[in-house]
Amino acid sequence: MTEILKVSAVTKTYGKKNEKQYQALKGIDFSIESGEFVAIMGASGSGKTTLLNIISTLDKPTTGTVMINGRDISNLNANEMADFRSKEIGFIFQDFNLLENLTNRENISLPLNLCGVSASKIDPLVDKIAKKLGIVDILAKYPAEISGGQKQRIAAARALVHDPAILLADEPTGALDSKAATSLLETMKDLNENDKVSILMVTHDPYSASYVQKILFIKDGKIGKQLVRGQKSREEFYQEIINELGRR
Amino acid sequence: MLWKLSFTGLKSRFKDYVVLFSGLTLASAIFYMFMTIALNPAFLKGSLSIAFVITKLVFALGIVLLGIISLVYITYANSFLLSMRKKDYGVYMMLGARNSKIGKLIFSETLIIGFLASVLGIVIGIFVTQIVSQILVSQLGLQIHKYLGFYLPAIFWTLVFFIVLFLLAAIWNRHKLIKTSVLDLINEDQKPVKLHHNKVWKIIEAIMGIALLAVGYWAMADYGDLKTKSLWIGFFTIVIGSYFTFDSFFTSLVILLRSNKKFKSKKLRSFTLGQLQFRLTDYTKLLSVISLLFALALGAITVGLNFNNLVDSSLKSSYYDVMLYNPTKSDANLKHVSVRNKTTIDYKIKIAQDKKTPIVYVNKQSIANSQLKYQHMSQKKNRTSWSTKTITVKSLKNPDSEASYQLLGLLAPFPTAKLKLVSEQTYQALKSKNIKLELLEVNNFRQNFNNIEKLQNASNKRMVADLDKYGMDFSISFNNFKADQYRLVSSVASGFEFMGFFLGIAFLAMLASTLMFKVLSGAASDKIRYKMLWKIGARMSILKASIRHEIAALFVLPASLGVVDVLFGLQFFKSLLEDPYDKIWIPFTIFFALYLLYYLITVKLYQDIVLKKD
Repeated sequence: MTEILKVSAVTKTYGKKNEKQYQALKGIDFSIESGEFVAIMGASGSGKTTLLNIISTLDKPTTGTVMINGRDISNLNANEMADFRSKEIGFIFQDFNLLENLTNRENISLPLNLCGVSASKIDPLVDKIAKKLGIVDILAKYPAEISGGQKQRIAAARALVHDPAILLADEPTGALDSKAATSLLETMKDLNENDKVSILMVTHDPYSASYVQKILFIKDGKIGKQLVRGQKSREEFYQEIINELGRR
Repeated sequence: MLWKLSFTGLKSRFKDYVVLFSGLTLASAIFYMFMTIALNPAFLKGSLSIAFVITKLVFALGIVLLGIISLVYITYANSFLLSMRKKDYGVYMMLGARNSKIGKLIFSETLIIGFLASVLGIVIGIFVTQIVSQILVSQLGLQIHKYLGFYLPAIFWTLVFFIVLFLLAAIWNRHKLIKTSVLDLINEDQKPVKLHHNKVWKIIEAIMGIALLAVGYWAMADYGDLKTKSLWIGFFTIVIGSYFTFDSFFTSLVILLRSNKKFKSKKLRSFTLGQLQFRLTDYTKLLSVISLLFALALGAITVGLNFNNLVDSSLKSSYYDVMLYNPTKSDANLKHVSVRNKTTIDYKIKIAQDKKTPIVYVNKQSIANSQLKYQHMSQKKNRTSWSTKTITVKSLKNPDSEASYQLLGLLAPFPTAKLKLVSEQTYQALKSKNIKLELLEVNNFRQNFNNIEKLQNASNKRMVADLDKYGMDFSISFNNFKADQYRLVSSVASGFEFMGFFLGIAFLAMLASTLMFKVLSGAASDKIRYKMLWKIGARMSILKASIRHEIAALFVLPASLGVVDVLFGLQFFKSLLEDPYDKIWIPFTIFFALYLLYYLITVKLYQDIVLKKD
């Protein structure tokens, strides 16, 4: 197994040198193997959003390195970062972030347009991922015409259509009802197990976290405990997470 | 407390307020300038009374047009103001502020902004008027004298006009805010957009739009036959046609492009097209109004500047630039005039025995030698053209010929005068005073005009003094002297030119600011979209390009329809101007440069709002 993501000694300090500074990340080390499904859990202000922003090249670390798919992304310029995101990273956001002026098909096609994929190849790729996510029937509709669960599936399709190295999910179930949330998590698990998609999910919801193989707890800018599911059932793992959270 | 809150709200959207405020200030500045010209008796003093009356009339017309556009403009600027404040006021209401209190607040805010903008506009107007009039007088050689920037009645009327407009706007705003529910005020941005339309109706509308425009253009091009009817036909068909075209035709074009997979798959094109389709639906009314205003503005500049050609064509009607009657060597003004060619002719005047007919004697040989020229007028299809002809001995044989008539006009302006060609000997033998007429052609008549006019006036005085001695009726027509004619035509033309130019600029400034307000008021809700695109890997340069393209389309569509409107609309002026399309590139260039500037400012402001990093 190869390392798809390696975070080494990453720190992030906000504020200028002579002003009052705040260190959001205080030396983070971890890695994700290709095909792993990992969650980062932490309370508000723990630094999990900062970490996700750095991994997704939206922000730069103050010190330390981040390698994705064997490439050091900590020192790319703005254009290189944008290009890297468009090729190697798939995003799912809490509030879907679909463009309501575009049809669902157009929304899913966006990353392909940005990568410069030729027009004739776009539709087959969109159809393929739509079939996998069960959203073929709603491709011609606009986001305003579908349910929240369906929107998040469209967002997932948009995140995966260009076959990125890693899928980054930021509270993907945050805006969904429990049924839609379960359905999405099942789908993510399925994508991970059958299509070997590497997923990093940031969440504070123990139910969502119980679907992954490994959980990293982040607190005050540092990685604390790690939980590994191993052969445990999802329900057992869920209980373990609850216990871990209760201990804090 | 609410006042304090309200002021904080104002501070937080300072940039938007600056845009709004400068637009309103500009409107009142321009309005003031027009009022000054139309009301100020110092304007055009010294020019002829007919020209004065005409120019005043023209400017009064300009004020009516300007008043209408100001009304439209303030309506849009006001809705921009309202859209800025709605959310804030919604929050205040939610916090428990009373409706009546909020109503008072928006009412005062609208009035205060309006009042400050009007006052500042008038101050700017005074300065601009002063500067502009000086520039015009010196650079274009226009005939505007002692034009003062400060004029009390103009200040009064400008204030009254704008205060009334803002009072209406304030009443409207209060009404609108009190009637809308708190939740609607807060969630204004999130209202769903209508996504699907009745296709059949859209197709019918698109066809009707184009057809109505075609009818309107035909009516204007056929002005000669339809006369005033064409104005009404043109007005209604083009207004409704423009609306339909924007409501359906342009949207259909975007939908067509969106259905072309190859086209839309490049970069962010599908996003830009999606944005555009949404905007076109939202902007239909605004864009059609803007295309009409654009046409009016561009038309005003084009026609205004074209009036300068009227001066040129009027200069064509007489061949010689200066006619000097018995020139004296001491005339100092002659030194400043650069003479290109000089022709001299001698003649004598004797009253016939009936004591009624002045007879003008000219030496045959000197006619042959001097090769005198005159301008022959011909008309083809209502168009006047001039050609130069030479007076020959042969052409003078017939006393009723044009040449005889023209020569008599030059030499002796008696209605009853007769011309007689005689031999050298006979001429010498005539017992009458020899009169010498010097006919000058000069280099650059317009630049030398002041000296030429003095020269011509001095010569005319000498001529009148001499002619008086014969004790007969005579009349000196303006057509005989280029200087007089130039003064008459140029004072009318410069009035039109001045007005056309500033009316055009005023219209342009207002319509472009209106468009800018509309685009910018949607920027806040676009912020999330661009941020999302940036997150999924769109380069900043691509995002910026997408913004440029989207706004460009919103600027170009009404402009292109406006240009077509102007090209057909100029047909109206065919009867008034020799060639309304002459040098059309000059007004078009000026206009597009300014329009481009507005576009660039809008793009910059929009990019600043939308792409600003948190």
